[in-house]
Amino acid sequence: MTLSFFLLLTASLFLLQIVLLCYLVIRKKRRQRYEEEVESQYNHLVEPFSSYMMEPSDVRFFYAIRSIKHQEVVLERLLNGYVAFTKEAHSSPLVKQLSERFLTEPYRQRLNRRNWAKRINTLHYIEDFHMVSLSPVLLEQLAISNKLDAETRQLIRTLASLDETKVLTELSRFSNAPLRLYADVFSRLKKETAVKEIQSALESTDLSLKHAALIFVGQSGSLAFLPAVEKELAVPHAETRIQALKAIFRLEYMSDPDLLAPFFKSEIWAERMFAARIAGILQLSRYKETLGILLGDSVWWVRYSAAEAFTHFSDGDLLLAHLAENHPDRYGRDMAAQWQIYQPGGARQ
Amino acid sequence: MNIVFLILSYVTIIYMLISSLSYVVLFLLAFRKVHRESELDRRELTEDIAGSERTYPVSILVPAYNEEVGVVSTVRSLLALEYPEKEIIVIDDGSKDQTSARMIEEFQMTEIPFAVRAYLETAEVKAIYQSAIFPYIRLIKKANGGKADALNAGINLSSYPYFCAIDGDSILENDALLKTMRPIIESDGQIIVTGGSVRIANGSTISRSKVEAIDLPRHPVVLMQIIEYFRAFLIGRLALSRMNILLIVSGAFGVFHKERVIRAGGYNKKTVGEDMELVVRLHRLLKEEKSKQRIEYVPDPVCWTEAPESLEVLRSQRIRWQRGLFETLWTHKKMMLNPSYGSVGLVSMPYFLFVELLGAIFEFCGYFLIFGGFFFSLIDPKIAGILFLVTIFYGSLISALAVLLEELTLHKYPKVSHLIRLYGWALTEAFWYRPLMVIWRIQGIFAAFRKKQHWGDMKRKGIST
Repeated sequence: MTLSFFLLLTASLFLLQIVLLCYLVIRKKRRQRYEEEVESQYNHLVEPFSSYMMEPSDVRFFYAIRSIKHQEVVLERLLNGYVAFTKEAHSSPLVKQLSERFLTEPYRQRLNRRNWAKRINTLHYIEDFHMVSLSPVLLEQLAISNKLDAETRQLIRTLASLDETKVLTELSRFSNAPLRLYADVFSRLKKETAVKEIQSALESTDLSLKHAALIFVGQSGSLAFLPAVEKELAVPHAETRIQALKAIFRLEYMSDPDLLAPFFKSEIWAERMFAARIAGILQLSRYKETLGILLGDSVWWVRYSAAEAFTHFSDGDLLLAHLAENHPDRYGRDMAAQWQIYQPGGARQ
Repeated sequence: MNIVFLILSYVTIIYMLISSLSYVVLFLLAFRKVHRESELDRRELTEDIAGSERTYPVSILVPAYNEEVGVVSTVRSLLALEYPEKEIIVIDDGSKDQTSARMIEEFQMTEIPFAVRAYLETAEVKAIYQSAIFPYIRLIKKANGGKADALNAGINLSSYPYFCAIDGDSILENDALLKTMRPIIESDGQIIVTGGSVRIANGSTISRSKVEAIDLPRHPVVLMQIIEYFRAFLIGRLALSRMNILLIVSGAFGVFHKERVIRAGGYNKKTVGEDMELVVRLHRLLKEEKSKQRIEYVPDPVCWTEAPESLEVLRSQRIRWQRGLFETLWTHKKMMLNPSYGSVGLVSMPYFLFVELLGAIFEFCGYFLIFGGFFFSLIDPKIAGILFLVTIFYGSLISALAVLLEELTLHKYPKVSHLIRLYGWALTEAFWYRPLMVIWRIQGIFAAFRKKQHWGDMKRKGIST
């Protein structure tokens, strides 16, 4: 290896970088020009688009959209803006109608492109615009998918948003499917479809499916499922019981508060914690004494939840003041003192 | 004697070529992922999890020492974060300035009694305050114990299952936390740590704690740090993360699974590189438990931070970083080249030892031999010439490559002139910036033996108006 070899190596790498730099400069300039064009066409169409969305008889928008060069991307941006602003994609037949008329074919092509990012974006847009006509294409893609990667997960979510129940069967093919994905599917299905699917999930022996259904019931506040949730409190599987307690806590209701009693003495701290939380949120006065005992629990989270529970009672301030002075456990006294003035929780948006 | 210098020259040349090659390999590994995701509509990705039911609540920990200039704007930027459920905990680690007073005044804070869990032992907590306007903003006033100690105190007070550690002078982009939490949520908790990109705010316009216009600073020292960040984050961290062997999640912006960190013993107070040490320890525990959980770097979510403009502050920062790296590698020397720790022990640890730590020594030898060869005939001028070219390749061309990679993928800097300026400055790196770094990094290795602990003295101007 000689000096000239290294000189040649460095020079050629430098030249290669200069070529790449030139390419990137040209690309950047082109992109800027393209963005300017799209921006100008977008601005040109905002008024006829808004007018059409408010009054569909005003068809100026159709003439305008046909006359522009970047039809696809401009319409995509307009619809995206509308959906984000009004948050009513599912109930807007105009969004569906426009997207199906102008974007179905381009999207069908994009779904088969090699560009992964574009395929993922397209799946999101199909969901946002509720393009049911693409459902068969998506189902075909899901059927041949063997790996639960980011694309397959989005494919499942998009299909669920189009009210396609076959996704649950397809999802069961993947043993590693996360609970959240099941919950995502439930939350996207139409209400009537979701009710049926959750009912059968709660009766199922598939624990992932059952837990996902319990999570969803809690999140959605569907009291109709309360009897089925309460039934799960008696099952031998601890994780299922905890999910059921969590759901009851979120529902803020239970038909028979006596069902809670055994959980205050559970060996599993998460069960004691949720029992305390439920007793608080439901203001179950009969458990005040038990909450006082839990204030001296060996687990910090149980003590924390027991003290928090007192804040829900009308006489909670007095009880906490008393416990802060007289609780036999030092940690219990500290926790009660904290909750006398502490404002819990985080910023919720 | 000449034969010694000759051998040293060959060793340095071989070292620099191998190191450059390792950068190129990392570049190729990083490129595929970043390029694949470059056209993603990221708004769509976070839209879905922005609903409160789909995320995990996060405690944001802001350790602060003498941060009276930046702490309020940092907390304000955190208030503007798009995230369904969060709490903000500022930990004043015995500041000598008005850090606590500024917080108390700005957010109308009052002292509250608090039953803190002593999961992790810390220096004495003197008082805990809660904001009357935003009850989820809390302030811990404690005795000085160092950054690690401050973070441990924050972990003790936090109520949520995940915590995000950020520096007291950093500004997070509005959706940065959502983007950083996304892999954790998607993986159902299989990812226990995520780190986001840290970028330099000097030169950009940040108004009301929001980045309004991205621009480049005029100061060459800061420009070079921007290039360095590209090199470290885009080439290094992304590729290492792809192999699940990432050893650094920046202290300026990272999200951690709290229980995991507590089980690992929290931040180590005995090192100045507490962020890296914690990540290495977590890797070690994951391997020892044969867990499949992962640590991931997410290139898009951005945290803006103020880079030092003065050489004195930069020097002190680099000495601290190098010392932290040395201490971490020394603490976990058992993992080095140990097959029981998989690719972390066989690839990542040796990489950090030979490229990141000892690189400074080899580079120093390189500069010494070039100088000696050209001016004092220490070695054959032809060999000195080869060394010179390899040094340019290693010091400048790799950094220039990082600039091009950024433009090829994320292109955060909007103007063509930005790209050209960054590329031009990257080419100068080997001639002035790198020699400075080499000297300071070597000083950092020596500093590791002296064991004097401090927070680092950053002269802040404040990055937000």
